[in-house]
This record gives sequence, structure tokens and C-alpha cells, in this order.
Amino acid sequence: MPSDLARLIADKLPAPPDPARLLARLAQRYADRITGQFTVPARPGRYAELPTELSPPLREALRLRGISRLYSHQAEAWDAVQRGQHTVVVTPTASGKSLCYTLPVVDAAIRSRAKALYLFPTKALAQDQVAELLELNRAGNLGVRAYTFDGDTPGDARQAIRLHGDIVVSNPDMLHQGMLPHHTKWAQFFENLRYVVIDEIHSYRGVFGSHLANVLRRLARICAFYGVEPTFILCSATIGNPQEHAENLIGRSVHAITDSGAPCGEKHVLLWNPPVVNPDLGLRASARSQVTRIARAAIRAKLKALVFAPSRLMVEVLTKYLKDVFDHDPRKPARIHAYRGGYLPTERRRTEQLMRAGQIDGLVSTSALELGVDIGALDVVLLQGYPGSIAATWQRFGRAGRRQQGSIGVLVASSQPLDQYIVRHPEFFRAAPPEQARIAPDQPLILLDHIRCAAFELPFVDGDGFGPVAPEAYLQVLAESDVVHREGSRWEWIADAYPANAVNLRSVADGNFVVVDRSDGRQSIIAEVDFSSAALTLYEGAIHMVQSVPYQVEKLDWDGRKAYVTRTHVDYYTDAIDYTRLKVLERFDGVRAGQGNAYLGEVHVVRRVAGYKKIRYYTHENIGYGPVTLPDQELHTTALWWQLPQEALDEAFASRQDALDGFLGAATALHTVASVRVMAESRDLMKSVGSGDASAFVERDQRGRGQWRASDGAAATDAERFTPTVYLYDNYPGGVGLSDPLFRVEAELVREARELIAGCACRAGCPACVGPVLAVDEDAAATPKSQAERVLALLHTV
Amino acid sequence: MSGLVEKLRRLRNQAGVQAPAPAAAVPEPVSDALARIGDERQRLRRLLDLRPSGKPPSRPSARAPLPLRGEEIAPGLYSVEQRYGVEALAPLLPPRWPDCTPLARTRFLCFDTETTGLAGGSGTRAFMIGAADWVGHELRVRQLYLTAMSGEGAMLEAFARWLQPDTVLVSYNGRSYDAPLLAVRYRLQRLPNPLRDLAHVDLLHPVRRVYRGRWENCRLATIERNVLRIVRDDDLPGSEAPAAWRAFLRDGRSTDLMRVLEHNRQDVATLARLLEHMDQNATPTAWLTSA
Repeated sequence: MPSDLARLIADKLPAPPDPARLLARLAQRYADRITGQFTVPARPGRYAELPTELSPPLREALRLRGISRLYSHQAEAWDAVQRGQHTVVVTPTASGKSLCYTLPVVDAAIRSRAKALYLFPTKALAQDQVAELLELNRAGNLGVRAYTFDGDTPGDARQAIRLHGDIVVSNPDMLHQGMLPHHTKWAQFFENLRYVVIDEIHSYRGVFGSHLANVLRRLARICAFYGVEPTFILCSATIGNPQEHAENLIGRSVHAITDSGAPCGEKHVLLWNPPVVNPDLGLRASARSQVTRIARAAIRAKLKALVFAPSRLMVEVLTKYLKDVFDHDPRKPARIHAYRGGYLPTERRRTEQLMRAGQIDGLVSTSALELGVDIGALDVVLLQGYPGSIAATWQRFGRAGRRQQGSIGVLVASSQPLDQYIVRHPEFFRAAPPEQARIAPDQPLILLDHIRCAAFELPFVDGDGFGPVAPEAYLQVLAESDVVHREGSRWEWIADAYPANAVNLRSVADGNFVVVDRSDGRQSIIAEVDFSSAALTLYEGAIHMVQSVPYQVEKLDWDGRKAYVTRTHVDYYTDAIDYTRLKVLERFDGVRAGQGNAYLGEVHVVRRVAGYKKIRYYTHENIGYGPVTLPDQELHTTALWWQLPQEALDEAFASRQDALDGFLGAATALHTVASVRVMAESRDLMKSVGSGDASAFVERDQRGRGQWRASDGAAATDAERFTPTVYLYDNYPGGVGLSDPLFRVEAELVREARELIAGCACRAGCPACVGPVLAVDEDAAATPKSQAERVLALLHTV
Repeated sequence: MSGLVEKLRRLRNQAGVQAPAPAAAVPEPVSDALARIGDERQRLRRLLDLRPSGKPPSRPSARAPLPLRGEEIAPGLYSVEQRYGVEALAPLLPPRWPDCTPLARTRFLCFDTETTGLAGGSGTRAFMIGAADWVGHELRVRQLYLTAMSGEGAMLEAFARWLQPDTVLVSYNGRSYDAPLLAVRYRLQRLPNPLRDLAHVDLLHPVRRVYRGRWENCRLATIERNVLRIVRDDDLPGSEAPAAWRAFLRDGRSTDLMRVLEHNRQDVATLARLLEHMDQNATPTAWLTSA
């Protein structure tokens, strides 16, 4: 009888949330959409005793914080650091990475007042870390003083931090602009500097990483001046070459710890392709619709879900859709929150706290959450679109997971070719090693910037190196411009300038835009937008959303970096229409490619926002256009490109229009295989089709056909010589070394692009191979697909 | 070397990208650019983000070059000393002094530096230090200046020898500017900072309190003209001192450097008179009420 009652009660009770149940249901209902499913097995924890030599107060503080033993990787890091080795720790999210550096740093601070410098890529992470240190300090009454030092630190606090800080938590930009040029004010700090901690080193890639490596070369000179040789402790999310990357950054050999001892529950990964809605055209339902559906199911199953959206705009759209379902009662606290760059720091902190406290059921974010912001445990992570790299995909999936319970990660493919490639090759995704982080610290312009900054900080003396670089030639260039003055064997700074202010480590021009709300006569700042996305999101007429509340941009003050908005109630959002044109500045190298040529060189890229579309919610119909007049965004970078001579094209194609369409399709396929090969995030490598003499470029018109556009955007015809050209270029000023290795394998790229198209199941072409095609092309004799194949065949050296 | 210059030239356009460039700055294809090769120096200036100097760098004056004054007391370091008779040598009450006890006049040392710029940080240095103090019945003005960077250590040591443990420094904005800047220089030369523990009267603050709003600003030249009725003849504005120093370093033109020397001499002499003036023109209690 009692057991019956118990069963009765159990039946009435809601089932406890269980990811396995959701997984089973998804697998059963949507088997045709799941192209790959695999499980990363659970891993038991591996533990180690606290080091015996740990100072007793620290041991006690750890005990009070509930830490009585270490994970094996933490103990391993302690041993390596005590041996004086520079160490990099590479373990997943939430594996207790910070203890790897907290232990040696705090121990040395207690024992000998040794100082430590922490560098985080963002202010938010720095603040998290100081909060954690303060809690440990309070628990054990350790007397260790930890401070953030960044652009927000008030002037009167700075002096105290310089003199009394044991642990100074800052960022590369502040080290570069605020600390190194004023190193004498930090003399006491540098004289006692024992540890330099750099977390999230996987985020220092490309230009930013190249700058950081040079900032660290400058730090090494300053340390030498004060007679110290600090030990570096670095941490990274999973990347393909953590040791090499760490060594490239700090210029010294590094011991790598890559085995995590932290336990984790099993992780189920689903690769999800939205259903085909038009089989002929190969058109699929949107990734957005699928993500919304899965997120609803997860939240209804009482699971905590995190959705990564590809853009700030999509964060707002998805948040609105989920709020429409779960947050219609305004009297209850919101279950759905949005998180992205551009929100004010206080608002982000509040969302993080609510998330940690388990009070948010669904969080929609941009890549802002990829870094180690602590948001507690989650059950389900949904990715709208492939983030562009294997490493970033696993970093995002790493957000889900509890120690005891399984978790689910779903990658929902968009119609982008790269996404389609990934979900159609699940075995590739599963087996691919995570990407390598690349930096180019000896890029001449970056070097020149930092040798200039270094000369300001301490004079160069003949024979001084700068990392592995001999700086004499650069110093001569600087001397010619009266920046430094050579006297005897020394190069002394003589200019009246503060060079660090002219060098931005992140290559983002001229700071952020602020969004000012002028509704009801108020003037309050509600958001910030970085320079690079301002043109795409803050044009006049744009609907700018904050936590899915729409505001309309009424006035954009480009020079003043302000956008004035008012609250609005419209049923549409806006999306910028932008296009790119490209000009060759110089050829570095060239080879025959089939009947044409392939080149490597330097190009000038101009991106212009021409207008915007108004898109109605839910139906996604286009309900209008608006014009935009904004300055062009410019970029000088390296590129590789393919060209075919007019004779070859005239012979192979019935019309120039056909050849043009073929180039557009070939560009899409080449871009896909190249992105996979260099494992570039898709925004790092861009494509474009233009004329060989750069007088015009090609874009698709509303029928999907290639159209020449002159440089001012007006319709145009090709120059007398018909030389359409496919460009692939590094999307960074100065380039970050993608084009060069691609150029060396250009023949293989052409071959792989041919295979990609030939192996695609569509008839006339589809978004996965040559880009979207229109219904009218379906039955044409010469399909876009065949035209692209013809272009590639002409470029193929057999 | 030429390979690097070539490469930097090629990349200079990329540097231009980092600032939002006006459309006019769109570079031409390299072939065109090569066709109108300009001055290599100008291109490097652009690369280095230095504006092509708007004013001609030399501005050759009609004057004959002035010979260097003073004597070379160490390699790259010159010293000049002048004395002026004064009348009374009563003790002085330092403005804004915590207790209102007049101090022996001989304890005061009025000083001012001329620097390579206003940018701050470890790349800005003093190339000239002037100091005025009272000795016997005379006001003594001593000046040190560099003719080579290598003289900096000797200059800092020489200045340190002018200071006693009971010296009271007198300056105009020196607490915020000259003293911290010298602290950086002593640190970079690995020398103890002799200014660190000295009392320091910064006349800018009492002057501001008394004369704020009376004239267009409270700069020393303005106060000097209006309060002390000193009119300078052929003064080189302090803002041109960095350029004068660089011109001397680069091609040995000493004319403007000697004008800087005269400017600096006048500044410290004025400081001595201003200290006296402020002592006589305000009651001790006025200094003690907070600003």
C-alpha cells in the first residue's frame, strides 16, 4: 500500500529535468535533420593533494573556500611553476584554471611580497578575477592586495596601486599605453615582479596577438632594466598549438599542461541541418527557426539553455522570439535574457549573476560569452551557425556541462557553404583537430610601432635585440624622421610625442560609438557599439535593439561617435546592405593556373554600406529599403586571386554573363574550401569578384545574376578587357598570413573546389556549393553549377 | 635597410587605415605611386604618423649663430652662472606654509626646467635646468644645459649638488610638472632622487588664489607682465623650446638654444621676485585657508 502511494505521488510529480530525455526526443522526432550525433564520454576527476610546501595561511583559506585537494593539472602547474618554468595550461572551460596561477602567485605574495601582473583580454574578466582573489583573501585574512588597473581606474587610486598592489590585474592595452611608457612610476612593482599571468591566450591571435607579442618584448626590456625575470603562467582554451602559440607570444620556451583532471559529465553533440523547403533550389529553413524551436523544447523541459547567435542583431531577434513565448507576463521576473557586447557593464554583470544563481532559463549571446566569464552550469548549448572554427565550436559547447549529468550541444547549420560543409561531413568535424592560433609579430608595421614605443621607454643601445629582431634598420627609419637621435652607441628618443597613444592593439579605429536615448526629452546612454560595426548597425533609420526593445536611430553623429535614438514600436527590424570593392596595389608572386593565372599580392579593400532593408518580424518579408550615406571602411591587406584571359573565356562560354555567373559560383566554392583548409574563422578570410583592372566589381542582383558595378556602386560594364577575377583576402589590416599559405596550395584549392561542386547532390547549384540559385535557372541548359565548374576547370592545372 | 624601407613604404597605406581616413586618402595603385615618387622623407613621415611639419623646420633667422655660453663642465654638459646685486636680505615667509615662520632667504632655491616636450612618460626629458638662489648680497642664477644626450647623468648629479637637506624648492607648477619629470629622469639614470624629501613651494597655487580671473590666464609670463611689470625683450616662447633643442641636436644650430637659455634665466629670476612679491602681498592667514 505505501509503495503504491509512493508510486502515485511519483507519477504526479513533474519529472526532474533530464537532458537525456530531450536528446531522445530530438533524435526521434528530427532524425532527418540530425546529420551527425556523437558522444564525448564522461571523464572522472583526477585529484592530487595540496602541495605540502603551500604556505599555511593559504592552505587554510583554500579549506575555508571548500578546496581540500587539487585537480591533477593544477598540481602539475604548481610543480612546473615552482621549478621556474614558464607554463601554459590548456584545459576546458570550468576546469579550475585560475587556481593554476592563483596558488603560486598568492603563495609568493604571502611569503615574500612578490608581485604579479595579470593580463586579461577584457575588463570584465579582470574584474571577475579580482573578485575571486578578494574572496580568497578575505577567507584566509591573507593580506594580499589585488587591484584592477584599467582605463576606469580613478587617478587618485593609481598611485596607491602602483606602490601597494601585490597583484595588478589589467589588460594588454593598459600595459601598452599606461604602464610601460610610465615604467619609472611602477619601479617598485617591476623590481619585485615575479609572475606574469596571461589568461585566454587563444584570443590573442592575428593582429591583436601580434601586437601583444611585441608588448611583451617591451615588457621584457623593462624587466631587464629593473633586474627581474618573471615567470610566465599562461592559460588557454583548447587550440591546436597551445605550446607553440605560448612560445610565440612570450618568446621563450614554455612547458605545456594539456591533461585536465577536472571531472565532466558526458556530452552529446548533434549536428543539425535545417529541413529543405525547396528541394529544387536546395533552399533550407533558416537556422534561426531551428534554434528557436530547439531552445523552446529545452526550456519547456526545464533545462537551462544558452544560445549563441551569429550577430548582435540576431541576439535581439532570438531574444524577442523566446521572450514572446516565455516572458509574456510582465509581473514575473524575465526568464529569457540577452547578453552581448554593447550592453553597459553593469547590465552584463547583473545577467551573469542571475545566470549563476540559476534564475535565467534561456540566455542568448554573441561570442562575448566564449571567453571565461563565469555563468555557472548549463544543460544545453545551441549554436546558430558554425562559429567558423572547430576550436570556437568546442569552446562554446564547453559552456554546457555539469559534473554529474550529461549535457547537449547542438550546431545548427546556416545556409552558408562553410556551415553546410561541416554538417554534411560530420566525420570531418569529429576528427578535426582544433585550429592553430597564428600570430605574425615580425610584421614590419607592427614592429615599427612597437620599436618606436620601446625607444620611448628606454633608449636602444647598439647590440640590443628586440625579441629575435635586430632593431637597427627600424631605428634608422625612426632617426630619419627625428623620432630618435643617434648619439654614440645609443638611440635616444627626442620627439615630443607619446607614441603608445597612436598604436591601437586591436586595430579598431578611433573608439566606440555611444547610443543616446532621447525618448521623452531624456538623454541617457543605453549602449556602446564598436567602431567596426557602427556603420552596419547605427545608420539613420536603423532599428537598434537593446534587450529586444527597439529604438530607432534618428541621427548619427559620425565624427562625434554618437547615435541618437528614440524608443519606437515597429514590427520590423533593419539589416544593412553592404558591398565590397577591391583594388590590387602590388603583386608579390604569380603562377600559371590552368589557362589563367593565380597571384599573391597586396590589395586595398573598401566596404560600403549602401542602404538597408526593413524586414518584418516572423514573416521575414522585405517591406522596404532606406538609403545610407556613411564613410567607407577601408582595409589594406594581402590577397590571392585567380584570373582567366579573355580568349579562354570567350571560347568556353556562350556569353560573358554566363562567365560572370561562373566566377561568382567558383568564388563561393573556393572560399569554402580555403576556409576549411586554413581553418580560418569565416570572417577572417573574405571573398570578392571584381574586374582584373579593379575598375569594377561584381555583385548578384535580385535575380541572383552577376552584375558589374562601378566603384561608386552604379551599374557598369566590364572594361575593354574582360578579366573577371576571384579574390580571397585576409580580413585584417596588413594581413595575418592566411593568403600566403593558400597561394602555395592554390592548385589543390581549385581541385577541392571542383570536387565540392561535383560531389554536391543538387542539380543546378545550391547554397552549399556555388551559392543560392533561382528557380528560373533550374531548367536552363547551362546551370550556375555547370558554369562554376567550367571556370574551375579552366583554372585547374592537371 | 633599403629593403625594409621599401617594404614599409608598401605598407604605409595600411597604417593609414587605422585612422578613419577621408576618402581623399585612398592610395593610388603602387604603379601610379611609383610614377610620382615624392620625397622619401615625406613618405616616411606619413608612415610614422608624423604630420609633415607645417612650418619650415629651420626658420633660419637673420641673426648670426650665437656661440654657446658658459663652460663645459662634463662631456655634453654646460654650466652658466650670473649674479645680480640685491638690497635687503630679510627672511621670507613662504606662501602657503604650514606654520607662519619666516625662513632664512638662503634656504630657497627657485628652479625651472626646459623639456623636450609635454607628452610625459619616460621619453620626455629636461635638457636644461635653471635655479636662482640668494648668496650674500646677490641673487645667483645658475643654469645647466645639455649639448649631448650623454651629459644627462652629469647634469642630474650637478643639480643634486645644489640641493641641501633643508633646501626649500620654489617653482611655478613644478610640483605637478618639473619635479615628477625629474624623478623619472633620476630613476632612469639609476640615481637617487634628491628632490624627493625637500619642501616645495609651488607659486602657481597662491598666485591663482589671489589673481584668478584678473587677467587672461595665470601663466608666469602674464603674471610677470602684470604684477611685476617685467617686459621681456626678444623672448622665445617656452613652447618653442623643444624645437630649439632638436634643431641644435640635429645640426648644431645654437641660436635658438641660447634664446631658450635666456628665457629660462628670466623665468627663474622672475620666480625669485615673485616669491618676494607674494610674501609681501598676502597675509599669512590667506595662505592657510583652503583653496
